[in-house]
Amino acid sequence: MLSDNHIAELRAAVGEAGLITGRSQLQTYECDGLTNFRVQPGAVVLPRSTAEVQAVVRVCARHKIPFVSRGAGTGLSGGALPSEGGVVISLARMNRILEVDLANRYVVVEPGVINAHVTQRVASNGYFYAPDPSSQSVCTIGGNVAENSGGAHCLKYGFTVTHTLAVEVVLPSGEIVTLGSRTLDSPGYDLAGVFVGSEGTLGVATKVTLRIVKRPEVVQTLLAAFDSPQAAGQTVSDIIAAGMLPSALEIMDTLSIEAAEAAVHAHYPMCGGLLLVELDGPSSEVGTLMHEVRSISEKNGATEIRLAQSDEERMLVWKGRKAAFAAVGRISPNYIVQDGVIPRTALPRVLADIEQMAAAVKLRVANVFHAGDGNLHPLVLYDRAIPGQEELALDLSYRILHLCVDNGGSITGEHGVGKEKQEALGYMFAEPDLATMQLVRCAFDPDNIANPDKMFPRTRLCADRPGPYTPHPLETAGVAEIF
Amino acid sequence: MSPSTALSLEDAKSHLASIVGDDFTDLCDDTIAVAPADAQEIAEVLRFARGNEMAVTPSGGETKTGWGNHVTAPIKLSTRRLRSVREHSWQDMTCTVEAGSTWTAMQAELSRHGQMVALDPLWPDRATVGGIAAVNDSGALRLRYGGLRDLILGMTIVLADGTVAKTGGKVVKNVAGYDLHKLMTGSYGTLGVIAEVNFRLHPIEEHARTWSATAVNAAQFEAPLRALLNSHIVPSCVQIRAEGEACTVDVRVAAVPHCLDEQAPLLEKIFAPLSLTESQEEVWHARQELFDASNAMIVKASLLPAEICSVLSELQRHAAADGAEMHALAQANGLMTVAFGAATDAVITAIEHLRHRARSTGGSVVALQLPDELRARLDVWGCDSDALPLMREIKRRFDPKQILNSGRFVGNI
Repeated sequence: MLSDNHIAELRAAVGEAGLITGRSQLQTYECDGLTNFRVQPGAVVLPRSTAEVQAVVRVCARHKIPFVSRGAGTGLSGGALPSEGGVVISLARMNRILEVDLANRYVVVEPGVINAHVTQRVASNGYFYAPDPSSQSVCTIGGNVAENSGGAHCLKYGFTVTHTLAVEVVLPSGEIVTLGSRTLDSPGYDLAGVFVGSEGTLGVATKVTLRIVKRPEVVQTLLAAFDSPQAAGQTVSDIIAAGMLPSALEIMDTLSIEAAEAAVHAHYPMCGGLLLVELDGPSSEVGTLMHEVRSISEKNGATEIRLAQSDEERMLVWKGRKAAFAAVGRISPNYIVQDGVIPRTALPRVLADIEQMAAAVKLRVANVFHAGDGNLHPLVLYDRAIPGQEELALDLSYRILHLCVDNGGSITGEHGVGKEKQEALGYMFAEPDLATMQLVRCAFDPDNIANPDKMFPRTRLCADRPGPYTPHPLETAGVAEIF
Repeated sequence: MSPSTALSLEDAKSHLASIVGDDFTDLCDDTIAVAPADAQEIAEVLRFARGNEMAVTPSGGETKTGWGNHVTAPIKLSTRRLRSVREHSWQDMTCTVEAGSTWTAMQAELSRHGQMVALDPLWPDRATVGGIAAVNDSGALRLRYGGLRDLILGMTIVLADGTVAKTGGKVVKNVAGYDLHKLMTGSYGTLGVIAEVNFRLHPIEEHARTWSATAVNAAQFEAPLRALLNSHIVPSCVQIRAEGEACTVDVRVAAVPHCLDEQAPLLEKIFAPLSLTESQEEVWHARQELFDASNAMIVKASLLPAEICSVLSELQRHAAADGAEMHALAQANGLMTVAFGAATDAVITAIEHLRHRARSTGGSVVALQLPDELRARLDVWGCDSDALPLMREIKRRFDPKQILNSGRFVGNI
């Protein structure tokens, strides 16, 4: 718990207007997008500058107070869940775009800048910021950096890490360092590459240099309706096998189509598996390749093929897809959004298994996938009012993650590990793998105060010597052996 | 680290032979060359070395051993027995390759399904996957496909204490845990030995054409290059070659054939009044040729993309004034290779000037090929990062006894 002295020191760091300690106001910060975990922080600070962040972190470092950075709180894995009685550092007020360099294709932003605002700032010059998580109209760049956020277009354009050139970071010690640089290959370890996706466990990002991308000449979006997600999945494999790299390949099953239709009336064809293909690039090339996509879809039994005829139609198609998670609330009182990855080719097998697993516990699972890169978002539907159903749903959602790992995939493609998947990380990685990650964590944060108790399956102290087997010196010298 | 006095090299050799076999252990000129068969044997070799405080240099095709600070070690750990493409999931467009596979051998295997790792490193016939990852080499294709940090999905690594760890995975999208493979990429073997690498793959560029234009000064390319990168043409590679008073820009575009036909006149318009002619694929060997010239001093400059023409032009001017032999090659992403013909005082001054220039806009200059007598006069890395203490702490955590390539990297890490 924070003492009066701690609070006074925090007040000195950010001023009265930057400090929240009132119980009712603190409630706003109890959770992020994963609402079934809630913890009340001891205080929330709202710094306006790197210097203020540094001052706050120094207070935390001095007293070994845990702190959690927070952007818009849209994360889905509990990454911004506070530590009990600790400090939440909200970066919401650090929301300035500091520099735009079109000739060198980068922008420098503060962490509280909203993802979509980056594109808005450079759109009139023909550029865009590529990572586009579904929450892009509200989520912040700082949060995107923490989670290495993706989105529907990362098949072609990559993830947040692909577009992050440099990050200014306040380390858990309170020191300020710049990781990476505006130019490629700055000498030294690629610490920017490690920091992106570290879920707030290595420090606080206070300034981010992002790459921006030239907007393609044309963008075409096609909808193809199939009888099953499996047939849509086969079409995806065939498109990839033909050597194409679409900017997006999305699949929705019947339940998610129903939900999206109810919510935003995207005029999707009702079918068992809806495939959305987006191609972008030079117009003549896109035209040729889209023709090929059509014939591949027809070969796989598409019952309806529709090309969005205008930008408005295209936007509507995407609105439906991006609203799919929230829309599921219209067809089920409660639901769990999962995020697993499988090799693309395992899709038919994994879908059949998910269906079987859901049927066995009498639950429904709606499926939305970034099919091009094998990223599944199964939505486990349930009713909290029915005793025992929430536990069943949670258990099913975790078993789906195990299924992804068993098929050679991952427990998270873009939502992060956070609080939700700590144990699943232990299913995906063996003890020596986790111990090696811990070496990095301890180098950045030896006192374990930056977003502690997240990501790793169990709390470790940096003084622990876990994992690797260390032989006895006699054994090394060949004098003795261990049997 | 100097070899432990407690154990003779002969004794060390015989112990190492008991791990990897007699045929794969050799003692020559105070160095024990040892070639483990797999990650487990690498782990045993490292455990032995660490226990006896003997330094180890991981080694692949030995094409870039001169890069970085000069270090010596009593044990040279070769990855030459780990050379198979273990898995090519061509439908998923991923592969898993052992670190000792040469780049060319790997690409040959992947090409059976029309795929490639979209990177064009130096000495592909001899350089290994592990070595290329360890120095983070990249060529002209990086403009379109990104560098190794974008192409490597995961790794199996062996730490100095013998821990065999996996990082990342085999799928393109994965945010579980820290991306340790990014830490390993470009770490010059100072944190661990790379045993296996998982790559994402791209289709081979089936239809590609290259066009070139020449000018006397690189500054003449500034406007057309800006126009090209602002156009809707998506080139795979763009490079400028400067030597003496001649400069050439090469542009490679890959697309379906009729699109290539459509893009040719667009390119001509962009480069007018310079005349554009179609070139052979060989022009993309230019970076390799700089490294192949004997005794050349070579530096790698990282610049802002919009600076390359003016920097090339300055380099040309200085070389002409000093009567120095200078060849430079810049990629549109801002990476530049500069080769100087002779190790003169004027060249040292030129490199220092270039470094000063690069740093003023956040860039850097690293000396890659340098005669020994100049190493005392020029900081090879020129790293002024405020994250150096953090990098040292990472090294200390990974390799507390400093057995792995210690001293070779930035800040003598």
